[in-house]
Amino acid sequence: MEEAPERLEIRQRFPSWREMLKPVKKFEEGRVSYLSLPKQVNSEFFKMPFGDVERDLDDLKLPENWKEIFLDAMKDTLEKNRAFKVFMDICVRCGACADKCHYYIGTGDPKNMPVGRAELIRSVYRRYFTPAGKIFGELAGARELTEDVLKELYYYAYQCSLCRRCSVFCPYGIDTAEIVWWLRRMLSRVGLNQRFMTISIEASSRTGNHLGLLPGGMYGSIQQGLEELKDITGFDLHTYINKKGADVLFVAPSADYFATPHWYVMLGYLLLFNELEERYGLTITWSTYAGEGGNFGSFHSYEAAQLLNSKLYKEAERLGVSFIIGGECGHMWRDKHQFINTMNQPPKNEEWKRFWENPDLGELAEGLRGIRFDSYASGEHGWIHILEFVAALIEHKKIKVDKSRNDQWIATYHDPCNIARGMGLIEEPRYVLRNVMNNFYDMPEHTIKDKTYCCGAGGGLLADELMDLRMRGVMPRMMAVRHVYKKYGVNILLTPCAIDKAQFPHALEYWKIPVEVGGPMEMVGNALVLTAFGEKPEDRQYDLRGEPLKKEEGE
Amino acid sequence: MIGVIFGVIVPYIAVAIFVAGVIYRIINWASSAVPLKVPTTGGQQKSFPFIKRTIYDRFDSPYTKWETAGRMLLEIFFFRSLLKNTRYYLDRTSQKDARWLWLFGIMFHYSLLLVLIRHSRFFLEPVPSFVETLSNIEAFKGVFIPSVYISGLVIVVALFLLWLRRIFLSRERTLSLPSDHFVLILLLAITISGNIMRYFIKADLYEVKELLTNLMIFNIGKAIEVANNIEPIFYIHFGLACFLLAYFPFSKLMHAGGVLFTPTRNMPNDNRARRHVNPWDPADVPLLSKGITVAGMTFKSKKLDWDTYHEMYADQLEEIEEADFKIVPEEL
Ligand code: SF4
Ligand code: SF4
Repeated sequence: MEEAPERLEIRQRFPSWREMLKPVKKFEEGRVSYLSLPKQVNSEFFKMPFGDVERDLDDLKLPENWKEIFLDAMKDTLEKNRAFKVFMDICVRCGACADKCHYYIGTGDPKNMPVGRAELIRSVYRRYFTPAGKIFGELAGARELTEDVLKELYYYAYQCSLCRRCSVFCPYGIDTAEIVWWLRRMLSRVGLNQRFMTISIEASSRTGNHLGLLPGGMYGSIQQGLEELKDITGFDLHTYINKKGADVLFVAPSADYFATPHWYVMLGYLLLFNELEERYGLTITWSTYAGEGGNFGSFHSYEAAQLLNSKLYKEAERLGVSFIIGGECGHMWRDKHQFINTMNQPPKNEEWKRFWENPDLGELAEGLRGIRFDSYASGEHGWIHILEFVAALIEHKKIKVDKSRNDQWIATYHDPCNIARGMGLIEEPRYVLRNVMNNFYDMPEHTIKDKTYCCGAGGGLLADELMDLRMRGVMPRMMAVRHVYKKYGVNILLTPCAIDKAQFPHALEYWKIPVEVGGPMEMVGNALVLTAFGEKPEDRQYDLRGEPLKKEEGE
Repeated sequence: MIGVIFGVIVPYIAVAIFVAGVIYRIINWASSAVPLKVPTTGGQQKSFPFIKRTIYDRFDSPYTKWETAGRMLLEIFFFRSLLKNTRYYLDRTSQKDARWLWLFGIMFHYSLLLVLIRHSRFFLEPVPSFVETLSNIEAFKGVFIPSVYISGLVIVVALFLLWLRRIFLSRERTLSLPSDHFVLILLLAITISGNIMRYFIKADLYEVKELLTNLMIFNIGKAIEVANNIEPIFYIHFGLACFLLAYFPFSKLMHAGGVLFTPTRNMPNDNRARRHVNPWDPADVPLLSKGITVAGMTFKSKKLDWDTYHEMYADQLEEIEEADFKIVPEEL
């Protein structure tokens, strides 16, 4: 793993507007993404234009008529996406978004201001698509598309985590994330793709998940979870996989099968599913084919996102489930909330249709009657977030929880960008946390909810080679964590996002904040009393991390 | 001569460019597709009944078209996003509110509105009573003689403040293109010349009104006649305003129309209730599996449908089948 510098210096620069139009030639170490290799983008399952050559930034090996291709792609984008076109035209460069980007705050690089980032491509747009730019050139803020400009576009397109924080503050809602998203698609048309994300995209389109796990691997991993749970709870638990006729399909991000601290969340899911089946008869199945909730394609382009999420509804239909529950993952919910049912046809199986005519859980399991989804969802979509689901179970008193089992934790909650700003899931997780634990404190208001700071590694930037950028980008979030750590003694940072769970442990260590990382479902798992198995609140001796629950006297 | 050029020819050209330009831009935006429903959600989504949504949540994460309209109106009339503005200080953990931009913006746009309403007296006969009333109120009629219109002065101050931001704040200076300075200078020139005309070098306003009403009914002969009688100071103000009008559709000033077109704000957050259809993607087969064509070459990705998948991993999938799709802990 590459290391971020010992001493991190933030040098703010304020060049002239002319200088801003000149492409940056020297790229900082730790902020440039590697380009994809042919095995990622020229694979049978993920074939991108001109993906057959190995390139690096010194030698882009562009196709001969790359400029034409790029500009064609831009024209295509302008026609295909109104947002892109409007955003190219109406920015007034007021600067309201400038210091809202965590990468700008962390690097001080003026081209990392959201508007600076957008101007990189906007200047090219002016030159080739507006009369003023064609006539007045540089004076109108326009510039030629050269190879250096292309490199620069690549460099900064992959210093944006698509977090949309800038969009909240912009008077016109200009979403730099969206501009960057379409820019990445244009770049991929001339053969420039980022390696880190395409590794996962290729794996997912070939095997069904980002990690490239084969069916047996996923099976074995979940099995190991059940074994650990046997040690922790003493009960023989089970779960289903690829099971036709189950009531619900459950989809988690694949990191939950392996990584830590994701793993404890995985255990939380399994406990909940067992309790629901034993007590109410609600059956929930996993799927190896639809084994990936995340969607790295959604960092790359419309088409790549669609290639990956097209499997999920198909699998729901094949298995004949009634609806889908999705696990703890941030960008998954940008994809599953805003993209999936536009990019695909929702399932058409009988069970699905019947359930959504009267979407009351009582139709599937009598004991759960009263929990209805129709206040906000329909069969045209059919996805429920696991924390919404748990919130409803708690509100309707369908599960029993013992808060005191989480007493060793003093928690704070990080809103993942995508579920806060791309979905609006804000209160449900807090509702759940307040009900499963006694000590929960929010971070300062300007760093949470719709104003939440990114973990600094979203949007495909969790790559090792970007360590410098990541540690800088996470700084605002870390400062907020440090604030609650000092004020309330917070000792765990909870987040329902797989990328956060991978990024935060490094970040907390780097910023020297002694706080653990976990997910809300881990806390739910700890607190959940398996009444159907005859468990009493005081029976549980260990938490999901395998630590003894009762503190010794006098400690 | 000046009268004919700046009093008759220029305004006709300017208005023609303005109207055609704005219509073109709007049609141009509207003709571009909206592939996805991607509102930026700034508040709690519509959820289970027990999850409470405040009034802010309703506007920031709208579910119905009324809430969405409310969000847009608040944005247009109160610049709500700018009102949320904070400033980040590297050396502090807290943030200070920084709503100066909001204040200057509101000052400018509302004075502009008042000024425009006041100017309607030059086009309308009889002058609508609300225009009279409004002018009287803002001028505190009777307090000063001649009446001083507050909006006319505030607009100049606001423009200066907005410009000073771009000159003295380092971030804003870096971001400002020549065109950004240019529109501010142009607006300043127009407003200042207007004020000069009002308070110092007076032009005959009856003649001006005569000219404008004749232009409006295309009574060109009469217009030319009147135009030649008006003092030159008027043509400075008027000529610049015409220039602004013609420049409008090609500049960032189009944000006035664009604010209605941004999909992050004008769509409801109801993706899970109502499906959005992408006009250029029928969503039957993934586009990449159909193949994308670039520079005459088609690049096609194989689709991993269930049958392909089953074939590729048959042995492992069959083992799962043998276990009856159930996972239990292994006996140790
Ligand atoms: S806040 Fe919006 S209009 Fe202002 S500079 Fe940023 S993107 Fe442009
Ligand atoms: S989307 Fe996030 S990372 Fe990208 S420019 Fe905006 S604030 Fe920065």
